[in-house]
Amino acid sequence: MKQPKNFYKGMNLTLFTFAMIFLYIPIVIMIVYSFNDSKIVAGWKGFTFKYYIDLLHNENIRLAFRNTMLIAILSTVISTVLGTLGALALENLRFRGRRLLNILVFVPLIMPDILMGVSMAMFYSFLRVKTGMFTVLIAHVTFCLSYAVIVIRSRLEGFDSSLLEASMDLGANPWQTFFKIKLPLMMPGIIAAALLAFTLSIDDFIITFFTTGRGFNTLPIYVEGGIRRGTITTINALSSLMITATIMIVFLSRRFHKVILKHL
Amino acid sequence: MPVSISEQRLHEKRNTRSWILSAPVILWLVVFFLIPYLIIFLYSFLTTTIYDVQFRFSLDAFRQVFRPIYIKPFLLAFRLATITTLLCMIFGYPVAYYIARSSQKLKNFLLLLIIIPFWTNFVIRIFSWRVFLSANGVLNEVLLFLNLIDEPLRLLRTDLAVILVTVYVYLPYMIFPLYSAIEKMDFTLLDAARDLGANEVTSFFKITLPLSREGIIAGIILVFIPALGTYIIPHLVGHQNALYIGQIITYKIKNIPRNWPLASALSLVLLIVVSLILFFLTRRYSRERKAS
Repeated sequence: MKQPKNFYKGMNLTLFTFAMIFLYIPIVIMIVYSFNDSKIVAGWKGFTFKYYIDLLHNENIRLAFRNTMLIAILSTVISTVLGTLGALALENLRFRGRRLLNILVFVPLIMPDILMGVSMAMFYSFLRVKTGMFTVLIAHVTFCLSYAVIVIRSRLEGFDSSLLEASMDLGANPWQTFFKIKLPLMMPGIIAAALLAFTLSIDDFIITFFTTGRGFNTLPIYVEGGIRRGTITTINALSSLMITATIMIVFLSRRFHKVILKHL
Repeated sequence: MPVSISEQRLHEKRNTRSWILSAPVILWLVVFFLIPYLIIFLYSFLTTTIYDVQFRFSLDAFRQVFRPIYIKPFLLAFRLATITTLLCMIFGYPVAYYIARSSQKLKNFLLLLIIIPFWTNFVIRIFSWRVFLSANGVLNEVLLFLNLIDEPLRLLRTDLAVILVTVYVYLPYMIFPLYSAIEKMDFTLLDAARDLGANEVTSFFKITLPLSREGIIAGIILVFIPALGTYIIPHLVGHQNALYIGQIITYKIKNIPRNWPLASALSLVLLIVVSLILFFLTRRYSRERKAS
């Protein structure tokens, strides 16, 4: 029965190749067309860098980029710090708030994004809060927080507590033990969580769309607006740059993917 | 074993410490997650003005929810989520299987190939399909060039485009959990099955598929639920006359005339549908796990 085995293996490889073509073809075409010297998406009219140069002079894009980074960095820091605390609390198996905390962390993860967007839009309107940077930041921390707790907690499972006991036996106080032993051992989980939070924040469109106000745009919001306004060529160039940045981040951070993927 | 007084005190102390550690997270999620959901509930019983809500009790929103113009978007979204989940499973399974059975070095590289589009911005991935599918886009140009068609096909703003792009966006969400489930599998079982005379198809359905159930369920949850609530995909590539529930909810909130009570009631229905799906998917799973 050698024949069928090779047949199925070959079939898997073929399907895999098709899946890769499917995943990459639109992205590759978009990048190629970002160098096309034509105002509309049409046949090849020659090579140009001009849309990339346009980007540099576009004040709105610069502002949207700054906003995106600001929100991503702040929400990453806040959600990772809070997530670390939450994960440490969940480590205690006899903690009486464990069930409550687990439910509060888990439910936002599995609800469609649109529901979180709708609920926050109504929450802000109910409180008569002016929407803008702070309302977006709060929303981003909220959806990053669950991921942070879960990724960091997973790292704490199977934690070798004898190291902590050894440290205490050797005369270190609890604070020293925490900062010199425990925190460094938790670091890969914390970095993985931060990376995930950062990417989720940059990626988000729908929740930002519901929680932002006039004048505060992030890049995904700007891109969506650009598509509707029909400034396709600039968006092409901008998107290609963002994809390049993504590929770079993915390569630089590949050590931490295992930690993230395991708990997706 | 009797618990000594000192041990009990230690547990108390640890418990208090855990409450203090988790207080910020619990507080944050209660204020910014739980209370906003309660406000959806509250708003669904209010009266609408075209800009905002009026704090006067009304069941109007719930009376409207079951009108055909709001049922149809639900059914469309349900159909989209079902087709997308099936297609993602059919295409995702061989991909996940192929990666899981590759050598360690190749595995990391192949995973990276899936991670890159997965981490590429959501809106950009949708936009790239517009470049590909539009009337003067690449696909039409190629088909025209090959003389397969005489005039550009209408590919954008169709149901097919919505399905294609949704599969595209959520395929990695199916591949990752399937991959981690298949990777954990004991592959010597397949050799044993073959030695005992089972062919490839039988051993796939009797061994591989049941053993990767956990991944299948996780994959269904990760694809079906977001697909059900999708707004931006049909908004950017779908037909203007075939609105999905995510679009209806968004338009009722964002566009004037607004109708927030109706948007709230529709959101509640969506919430109930999602909760039921999750309940059935995980209940069956946890019962089976308990039984085994």
